[in-house]
Amino acid sequence: MVDFGFGKGKGKESMSIKMFAAVAIGSTVTEMKIFEFGGRKAMKEIECVSARLNIGVDAYNMGHISSEKIEDLCEVLKDFRRIMLGYKVTEYKACATSAFRESRNMLIMRDYIEKQTGLKIDVLSNSEQRFVDYKSIASVTAEFEQIIRNPAAIVDIGGDSLQISLFDKDKLITTQNVRVGSVTTRERLAPLTKNRAHFEKMVVEILSHELAGFGRLYQKDRQIKNLIVIGGGITELTHPYEQQNKKITSVTLDQFQTIYDRIIGMNPEEIAERFEISSEQAAGVVPSAIFCKCMMGDFGAETLWIPDYSLCDGLAYDYALKNRFIKSTHSFEEDILASARSISKRYKCSQAHIRNLEELALQVFDRMKKIHGMGKRERLLLQIAVILHNCGKFISLEDVSECAYNIIMATEIIGLSDVEREMIAYTVKFNTSRFVYYDELSVRTSISRNEYMSVAKLTAILRMVNALDRTHRQKCKNAVVTLKEHELKITVASQEDLSLEIGTFNEKAEFFEEVFNVHPVFKQRKQL
Amino acid sequence: MAAIDFDKPEYYINRECSWLGFNSRVLSEARDKNLPMLERLKFLSITSSNLDEFFMIRVASLKDMVHAKYTKKDIAGMTPTEQLAAIAVQAHELVAQQYSTYNRSLLPLMKQCGLELVTEHEKLTKQQKAFVDQYFEENVYPVLTPMAMDSARPFPLIRNKTLNIGALISKKGEKEKAKAEFATVQVPSVLPRIVQLPEDADGKRSVILLEEIIEQNIDKLFLNYNVVCAHPYRIMRNADLAYDEDEAADLLKEIEKKLKKRQWGEVIRLEIEEKMEPKLLKILKSELNVKEEDIYRISGPLDLTFLMKLYGMEGMDKYRNQPYKPQSVPGMNDEEDIFTQIRKGDILLHHPYMTFEPVVNFVKQAAKDPDVLAIKQTLYRVSGHSPIVAALAQAAENGKQVTVLVELKARFDEENNILWAKMLEQAGCHVIYGLLGLKTHSKITLVVRREEDGIRRYVHLGTGNYNDSTAKLYTDCGILTCAEPIGEDATAVFNMLSGYSEPKHWNSLVLAPLWMRDAFMRLIQRETHHAKAGEPARIIAKMNSLCDKEIIAALYEASAAGVEIDLIIRGICCLRAGVPKVSEHIRVRSIVGNFLEHARIFYFENGGDEEFYMASADWMPRNLDKRVEILFPVESPEIREKVRHILQIQLDDNVKAHVMQPDGSYEKIDKRGKALLCAQDYFCEEAVKLAQTAPEEGKSRVFIPAEPIED
Repeated sequence: MVDFGFGKGKGKESMSIKMFAAVAIGSTVTEMKIFEFGGRKAMKEIECVSARLNIGVDAYNMGHISSEKIEDLCEVLKDFRRIMLGYKVTEYKACATSAFRESRNMLIMRDYIEKQTGLKIDVLSNSEQRFVDYKSIASVTAEFEQIIRNPAAIVDIGGDSLQISLFDKDKLITTQNVRVGSVTTRERLAPLTKNRAHFEKMVVEILSHELAGFGRLYQKDRQIKNLIVIGGGITELTHPYEQQNKKITSVTLDQFQTIYDRIIGMNPEEIAERFEISSEQAAGVVPSAIFCKCMMGDFGAETLWIPDYSLCDGLAYDYALKNRFIKSTHSFEEDILASARSISKRYKCSQAHIRNLEELALQVFDRMKKIHGMGKRERLLLQIAVILHNCGKFISLEDVSECAYNIIMATEIIGLSDVEREMIAYTVKFNTSRFVYYDELSVRTSISRNEYMSVAKLTAILRMVNALDRTHRQKCKNAVVTLKEHELKITVASQEDLSLEIGTFNEKAEFFEEVFNVHPVFKQRKQL
Repeated sequence: MAAIDFDKPEYYINRECSWLGFNSRVLSEARDKNLPMLERLKFLSITSSNLDEFFMIRVASLKDMVHAKYTKKDIAGMTPTEQLAAIAVQAHELVAQQYSTYNRSLLPLMKQCGLELVTEHEKLTKQQKAFVDQYFEENVYPVLTPMAMDSARPFPLIRNKTLNIGALISKKGEKEKAKAEFATVQVPSVLPRIVQLPEDADGKRSVILLEEIIEQNIDKLFLNYNVVCAHPYRIMRNADLAYDEDEAADLLKEIEKKLKKRQWGEVIRLEIEEKMEPKLLKILKSELNVKEEDIYRISGPLDLTFLMKLYGMEGMDKYRNQPYKPQSVPGMNDEEDIFTQIRKGDILLHHPYMTFEPVVNFVKQAAKDPDVLAIKQTLYRVSGHSPIVAALAQAAENGKQVTVLVELKARFDEENNILWAKMLEQAGCHVIYGLLGLKTHSKITLVVRREEDGIRRYVHLGTGNYNDSTAKLYTDCGILTCAEPIGEDATAVFNMLSGYSEPKHWNSLVLAPLWMRDAFMRLIQRETHHAKAGEPARIIAKMNSLCDKEIIAALYEASAAGVEIDLIIRGICCLRAGVPKVSEHIRVRSIVGNFLEHARIFYFENGGDEEFYMASADWMPRNLDKRVEILFPVESPEIREKVRHILQIQLDDNVKAHVMQPDGSYEKIDKRGKALLCAQDYFCEEAVKLAQTAPEEGKSRVFIPAEPIED
């Protein structure tokens, strides 16, 4: 969030209304929405401006965005800034997605754009972006909760990939990125295509192959009745099915088949004319529709939901939650944790051990708040590190730390940025291997000093609590953690022999003391 | 029953012929003996300027089509050549009628009223002659530039729409008829066309036209020559500007360039004094390359627009209508700010019966109001010293975000608009020029205000331009509202006009060129369905022109299904009313009165669930397909009743209304046995009454001081 530095001081600041702008620089569309919080409605969209700028094609094909398009983008963003100023917007978030990620010169380009427009741009990682996309649907809380009660998949169609997130009984089970996107598919297959039917066949072939793997691993025998699709520009196709009282449009399998049959033979120009959309957008519609058709078949979906929400909605929803302008019944942290847990299950980690450690680790974290000074986000990272700390064993019992590091780095954890993922990977790695200090570490990583400090602190906590369940037999249940002066006392009521735990603890305590300057003490109380 | 082909050309009227018919209706006002003398002169003057514009735009473009060998038939099945032929016949008739009105009715009437126009300089009294000669010496002679044509000097450039005197001259001493040369002099447009002569002994006023003064003194221009003859003439050139927006990188420059070019162009009409010497005419005809049918022989002064100058003459009030003072809007007051008043409920404005002030105040107050964040407005034609433009500039200087769409392509107004655009930019406004290839004709103002409970948008939507001068002469409607759906749509309109994507959906507004045609078609066809289902079905539509084939065909279909249709169309109407089986249920009336009927109002009965709309658009292809226009619903129940009343009064008018006959001609209503009702007069009186009673209704609160308790 960046403060413009106005809207403070003079004027009617007694007004409790907050203006927030969300800017999303997508592959084909750059959009801004301005929201008002605390007015007549808790959260209200008051402006939506979007410009068609196809920067994705450049990025995916050439690895950079042409200077002409960068200039166009700057013009649009300058105008957006002007509109923000007009509404006296005090905070904004501007995010770029895959087109920026796929550009080799991303940093240079971003710096140029930031200097030209005065807007700070965050480039979201895939998992961050998808998480925000997902939040945009969740912003329509009631209907969303209803849909995910039964097995449901959220498919986010991007320019260069699909993100498939699986839900069952309100919980996120997994989320996977499939490298098949609406723009890239069209670009790559177009030269090979003989006719439209052939194109359809090839897209189906590619996607079915990818989906088969997904199905084996995650879907198993579930029938995914509900398919929620965001992105891909197919909202235009389903306008006739919109219902007044529903915020999310839905069509049945049969209805979708009708739409599909109508458009599959059309060329982008016909689609553009028929549905009154730009031909740029229309070009992505056919691949997207094929994806939907294919997935509905493979998943056994009966209903297709097409929420008309965008990244901007998600960004604003996120902002509103963080600032407590609105409340959500759905816990997004739980989603992140759920997806971490499903990863740990896949690698056969001991869930009992993890639960025990989680409780301990969080207690230590909470007691030590004043000393470590870390916040809610780091607490979440610690929890995920605990959940994943043992996953390396799945591959090798010998080189656990390196294997765990590699698994984490190769796995997308929805809701986390790339840097956060790396922090977790290091925390887990240093849990069992030698802690590498910054001078040495900085050669290999892009994480900053601050982030490194968090890694050190999280590692210290993880190492110590991990020692308490050395035997994985959860001997140290119902531990009580207290902090007094420079001593952290962990009291465990247990009748069992804890000598192994005590031994390991003292060994690991050393690093803890080094990091926090707090001496940890382990105490067993045999009788109550 | 065999399906009727509603597309048959015989069911349609050519738009040019229909327009000429409209101008005849205006002319009929000049012939109306019930009107004061000067009012009649004004109407005659209007027919003259109307006709000029018609030639420059419509005839010119038909000529272009003929040159381009474009033979596509119009709505009534006529090729461009056929249309030009039909126009020539009708236009000649119209001109003949103009001058018979002028010569037979108005000149004698003026004299009766104590204002004599000396038609020929030969008729001047000795005293007057002396005055005229002196006036010529002092004022006219210095600005004249006589030009002769001979082997060394080519035929000079005669400017579009200027009045000139052509003469044949021969060198003194030589035999007169042997070698007459052509010479011409422009009647200077910098001098008044009408010159007042000194009052005579009994205080009678008389005037003479400038060209007569020049003719009187023409010898003085060609000193070594004898003037064989001298006659006024005037030409009209092709002035239709077809902008190529794709090519013009900078729209502003392109239009500035075109403006300079406008004076060159093919001559499409030559007006000459009836009694012009054939030899002189022959030279003009060949040099200007004019065909016989394009020559108009005029039995009177050329270019009757000068009559408008007489209209303003001082000391003749009794020969003019009492000027009408637009009344205050019922329910509005001066105490509260306009935003508070709008929050209480939508406000209907009916100009010029009601004052245009609220619209000006809307922008003025927004410019000063500390809570206003932004003002956005479309400007199409603004008046000379527009208070709105000044307020917008002021707003920008006060730190408001001001976005102004200036439509540069407003016909004949480009120079004016470029000026405003530059001035607004300098003041810090964000000036946009609309969308490539589309004229922005919609009239919308959006004020964004930050209030205690959040952003609130105030919108003015109108049927007429933001022009405080024409708002006194044109009848238009407008609505002030802060309804959220309209506010959101208004924001989307300006985003679209700035080149951003259209919104995902519209709440209330319907825009041309993308959605309006379909919307109107749906609305008309819905009535057809209702009629077929035996439900109440009725359409009342008021507009300036109707010439869109698709719409007309839909109206025929509706009529055939039994929908009762009343059209109140001031100008062009290509629909033929009362054709058996096709338009039996359609009635067309045209109201031509003191004010120019300009509002666009649409009513659909919709099986009892009535809908009222207003728009900036007529049912013309250019409005529906080539312009940005807005159709907006009238939703407030009180305003709906007011709008219904407006339509009903217009349908009841039997004074100024002309009703279309099955042959396409218009006739006034037989008033015998009927109470006279003139809609415009009715609205004037009604507005006065309402304005008088209004303050009592919304009486401002007065606290009564307590009196001391008496013992």
